[in-house]
Amino acid sequence: MTFVSAVFGVFFIGISILYFCVKREYRWIVLLFGSYFFYWMSSKSLTVVLLFMTIVTFAVGKIIDARNQKSAAYLKEHGELQSGERKAYKNNCKKINTRILILGILLDLSILLFLKYFNFFSDNINELLGWFKIPAGVPTLGLLVPIGLSFYTLQAIAYMTDVYRGKYRADRNFFQFMLFMSYFPQIVQGPIARHDHLAKQLYEGHDFDYQRCTFGLQLALWGLIKKLVIADRLAVPVNMIFNNYGNYSGLVVLLAAFGYGLQVYADFSGGMDLVRGLSQILGIELQLNFKQPYFAKSIEEFWRRWHITLGAWMKDYVFYPLSLSKISGSIGKKTRKIFGNNIGKKIPSFIAMFIVYFLVGFWHGPEWKYIAYGIWNGIFIMSGILLEEFYSNTKKKLGIQEERYSWKAFQTFRTIVLCSVGRFFSRADNLLAAFLMIASTLKGFSNIAFLVDRTLINLGLDTADWVVLCIMLLIMLGVDTAHEKGIKIRQAIAGQGIVFRWLIYYAAIFAVIIFGMYGSGYDSASFIYQQF
Amino acid sequence: MREKVIKILEDIRADIDFNHLTQKLIDDEMLDSFDIISIVGELNEAFDVDISVDELLPENFNTPDAMVELITKLQQE
Repeated sequence: MTFVSAVFGVFFIGISILYFCVKREYRWIVLLFGSYFFYWMSSKSLTVVLLFMTIVTFAVGKIIDARNQKSAAYLKEHGELQSGERKAYKNNCKKINTRILILGILLDLSILLFLKYFNFFSDNINELLGWFKIPAGVPTLGLLVPIGLSFYTLQAIAYMTDVYRGKYRADRNFFQFMLFMSYFPQIVQGPIARHDHLAKQLYEGHDFDYQRCTFGLQLALWGLIKKLVIADRLAVPVNMIFNNYGNYSGLVVLLAAFGYGLQVYADFSGGMDLVRGLSQILGIELQLNFKQPYFAKSIEEFWRRWHITLGAWMKDYVFYPLSLSKISGSIGKKTRKIFGNNIGKKIPSFIAMFIVYFLVGFWHGPEWKYIAYGIWNGIFIMSGILLEEFYSNTKKKLGIQEERYSWKAFQTFRTIVLCSVGRFFSRADNLLAAFLMIASTLKGFSNIAFLVDRTLINLGLDTADWVVLCIMLLIMLGVDTAHEKGIKIRQAIAGQGIVFRWLIYYAAIFAVIIFGMYGSGYDSASFIYQQF
Repeated sequence: MREKVIKILEDIRADIDFNHLTQKLIDDEMLDSFDIISIVGELNEAFDVDISVDELLPENFNTPDAMVELITKLQQE
């Protein structure tokens, strides 16, 4: 069962009716039943993977929490202990807790590594053996990756780590925890939830609210428009160029990468709007995953606005633990001595940042091109920080006034171009194809004849499709501009008269029905991030 | 303890007079995130504490006194 299907529509209506009909204290059971039903329909027997990870994560959280409580009680009872004794006791407890946490993380991570990355490792090991004329020794397995595994593994790790850090107590009810791990709107492609944000909302049960329901429906409808009308339509010319990249060169290839960036944005953020909207109907507020990324003025800012929950996860569970580790501290000490405070203090963070962007890339998929995609972004972020002073001096010398719109527009344009080039890595068939495509953009770059000859029409969309696409892209830009300015569109619509309101609703519904890309040849059912 | 904290801060940012601050270190962007990471590393080592991610809040690093308070709290826990 996928989100963009009639079956899911019927399922969601059924779950919603049941949710609001049963007593408040039992509503989470409806969600749990619905979530496991949804997951079973999508993943069948692979549901056991989700269940296993849930059991491991719950157990590890429970054990660490119990140990935290026990040690706190012991220290309270033995107030007479000297500070050295207290410290030794605490360190000992922490050491054991750390081991339990590492075991839990390894258990959860090993499932992800095995199912998603085993063949990547085996292929590369065999390739390496081939260089030394040694026959392939590691088998390639026909492994199936359960839906959402990359997302809920991160959610599980965050939960165990937070309990370990004492940020919150472990969940007491296993069945409620099952719901936290499996909540159907967000299990497929996020947002990557945190227990202290989502769990209580899931467990407490919400009453029906008309305005919340209409707002949720509007958001979900807008998500469908982004997915079916924009993303799936953009996919046609983008696929045509990426799948036949040898036939194209120059600006049109760069535009394909830019188009793919927009496609992913419409697809992923559309998916997020859909699930956030559906959740809002049930009274559950999922975390925001996008904040108008195409308005970013640097790649670093782009990543603060794009897939926010993944960035936040990487920051809290990879970047800071690495940066604040003892090893990082001693590296920093040495680098400050060698390179001076200004550069030296940044080096440990750069190492952590490099690891983060490597992981961000690798998280997207078991291919070198994704690693290159992560590193591409990481390099620009690090160079931006490293050359900050140089850029600042250059700007002063050139008399650039940063508050001018022209400078801001240039910054945004530069970010979009750099992000678009990065998209070659994530979309091209492989790493070599990505490099070949980047090289081909330089060939005949200034040739803009494709705009007036039949090149665009031969990319799979007719004139009407291009017109629809351009209009919808402009609307998406308008919506993002309004959000950027802090305008709350749904509230603004709610303040209008009934005729105008329904005119907008009908326009949106008909846009999905008439302009959505359906039928054979369009894989509208799946979202791009679902495969990650 | 305060002197030791000031010494660590001065080693990392010699250009700031930490004894006569008129602005807040984080809120007024006197320190950047790289400074904070370096400071946390040094404080952890010097006072044998473990400043965690959740304690990386502006109010814990806005003044040397706030840092002293954080270290004292962690030592007493």
